[in-house]
Amino acid sequence: MSEVDMAVIKPEMMKSYIWIQTSDGAIQQVEQEVAMFCPMICQEAIHKGMGSSKNCAVSLPQRVSPAMFSLILDYCRFHQVPGRSNKERKSFDEKFVRMDTKRLCELTSAADSLQLKPLVDLTSRALARIIEGKTPEEIREIFHLPDDLTEEEKLEPLKNTTDDPRIRLLNRLYAKKRKELKEREKLKDVEAEEDHVDDRSVDDLLSFINGGEDSKGIKTSKNKKKHRKRKDLQKCAPSNEAIETHKKESNTVSSLCHNVGVDQKLKSSLGETLKLQDAADEVFAPTVEFDDVDNDDEIDPALKEEIDREVEDFARILNSDWPERMQELLSLGQERRPTHLSVNGNGALKGHGSMPSFPL
Amino acid sequence: MDTEVDRISSLPGNVLDQILSDLPIRDAVRTSSLSRNWRYKWSHIPHLVFDTQCVSIPSEDQTVGKNKLVSIIDHVLLLHNGPIYKFKLSHRDLLGVSDIDRWILHLSRGSTKEFVLEIWKGQRYKLPSCLFSFENLIHLELLNCLLKPPSAFKGFRSLKSLHLQSVTLAQEVFENLISRCALLERLTLMNFDGFTHLKINAPNLQFFDVGGVFDDVSFENTLLLTQVTIALYEKVKNDQNMSRRSSCKLLSFFVNLPRIRRLKIHNYFLKNLALSKIPSTLPKSWVDLNYISIHINFNDFEENAVAFCLLKSCPNLQEIEMLGRPEEKAVVGPLTGLWGDDNWKSLFGQLRQVKIAGISGTRSELDCIKFLLSNSPVLEQMTVRPAPNEGGLEMVKELLRFRRASTRAEVIYMEP
Repeated sequence: MSEVDMAVIKPEMMKSYIWIQTSDGAIQQVEQEVAMFCPMICQEAIHKGMGSSKNCAVSLPQRVSPAMFSLILDYCRFHQVPGRSNKERKSFDEKFVRMDTKRLCELTSAADSLQLKPLVDLTSRALARIIEGKTPEEIREIFHLPDDLTEEEKLEPLKNTTDDPRIRLLNRLYAKKRKELKEREKLKDVEAEEDHVDDRSVDDLLSFINGGEDSKGIKTSKNKKKHRKRKDLQKCAPSNEAIETHKKESNTVSSLCHNVGVDQKLKSSLGETLKLQDAADEVFAPTVEFDDVDNDDEIDPALKEEIDREVEDFARILNSDWPERMQELLSLGQERRPTHLSVNGNGALKGHGSMPSFPL
Repeated sequence: MDTEVDRISSLPGNVLDQILSDLPIRDAVRTSSLSRNWRYKWSHIPHLVFDTQCVSIPSEDQTVGKNKLVSIIDHVLLLHNGPIYKFKLSHRDLLGVSDIDRWILHLSRGSTKEFVLEIWKGQRYKLPSCLFSFENLIHLELLNCLLKPPSAFKGFRSLKSLHLQSVTLAQEVFENLISRCALLERLTLMNFDGFTHLKINAPNLQFFDVGGVFDDVSFENTLLLTQVTIALYEKVKNDQNMSRRSSCKLLSFFVNLPRIRRLKIHNYFLKNLALSKIPSTLPKSWVDLNYISIHINFNDFEENAVAFCLLKSCPNLQEIEMLGRPEEKAVVGPLTGLWGDDNWKSLFGQLRQVKIAGISGTRSELDCIKFLLSNSPVLEQMTVRPAPNEGGLEMVKELLRFRRASTRAEVIYMEP
């Protein structure tokens, strides 16, 4: 009898266990080969010698709740067996991630803190599938996200963590937009324009994101902004030339203005075709824009030259494209008003460096 | 009671990057309008993929579609904040050449590791010189491009995988490209022009796949190459004088592939190998070769001889596939006794699977089958599929008669 007992007990004793303490303080034993599947536990056990007894149990990170840990153990228990086929594993994985999004997020977090990359990959992909194809409202609902973007916020400049002049340019444009908004608010008799500006800025950011869902309104407002940009840049031309001579740091915006400013013919022909007549435009003083420019730029001369060269390269490349591009851009605004690119515009363009277009 | 807690926004940055990278670019960027927290989360994703799936532009007009695509890519690149490790551009509406130049210039300033560019329509797109200054490039994939690197180009020093399809390169450019990318492990070439001699000098190359029109393939310093597929799409000119004089092509081809494991000689390449002196045996055997697939014209004396010689030098083959190229019905040279001399010598001690297809029951084909059956003691399965409109009872009768060295062998006749 005792021999039989021994035979029964022996295999049990052969298996080794690791002591693990979960975030709720409870300590449990886990089969070694299962627990070691998690790199973090592996590290603790091997490099720090933890887990060999109840007193020095491997203590799991905060993000791993007991419920999640038991799920992870199920995953490890299945996958650590070497003999399974790829098909079996895949099928297990598919069933494993079928859970509500709340638990899926918790599981992802837990798996990440245990450095269990295969499980992180699996759960991340599952979360991506949930997000894919849904509208923002639907996503907010599923994940309980607050809808806290104000209109203003959507104009906020991007955080300038890089010195990328292109980001700065975008910030400048956004800053200009914000100023316009403020101007608008001051003028009582252009309330209609105010709404228009708001729509435009939100749509502007999202219109390209929404791709083919452009309604007529969005399209035209986008074009309006484009035309407005061009006109504004032309406006700064006269004052720009004066400032240029003061050895002002050149940057992409001012060099653009410079190019445009030199070409009076272009200005007039465009002025004719772009019939934007916002009153606020006139009010908007070109000098305000330059204040922004002065403040933002601390580009060193070497970088400045590089940017100059780059812009000129682009200008040259686009030189031949310019008439067609203008045609294309203008034709997108067809529903508002018919426009024609005058022959003068073409001829005049060839003579001078053309303005690189803003794809907006 | 389950309170409505936002659990996803607090996931670590790398996990969010992973989730967002897995979404089509459109969905990823849209997350910027979810909440204040999410405004810039997408801008750190390290992978940008613009293909017809991710960016669907439902527009009939080609130009409008193209402009929208250009606008989208410009927007995303401008708003993106962080390293771009993978960039893929493969869109049906993609045309405008100057736009691509601009994007490649932007990427060349960063540390892009994977670059995929597929031009679906139009003539070969000439890659700008800034592409050749991608220092960290590990994987490069190009479709329908023209490569003309600057003379100062010293190769992609980190490049491990190169896939070129429908490309144009000068001979020198090709050779330099391969030899200067010292870490290259995988090379695929499909349909190319501008060079005809494939000189492959790549010490780390493990996988090589070529399909196109060329004069010759030669390997140099390719000791790690284990998988080779060569498909020659056009017939080589049959120069009788040359074939008598030149040294054994088969040998010179294989001498630099000592560790080869899987080999495919497709379309007309066997003919190319046959255009030289063919010895009855080779001085060396290739012991690592365990899979071979050959397109062979069983009516051509030389091709049969080359195949016979080759198979005899690979004692550890586990799987053989032979596909007949039956387009030349005319018999070239004596076709008997080619395969019949070495029976019952257990030449293929590991051979388990044989597939023969596209045959019509000629003498040389049947001899080949007989040769294989009698030399494979552990054979488990041989499938024989005749060419369309061929086969029939006669062939089955012959197959039935053949003695088999393996008692476990199944010979399966499949309908053409």
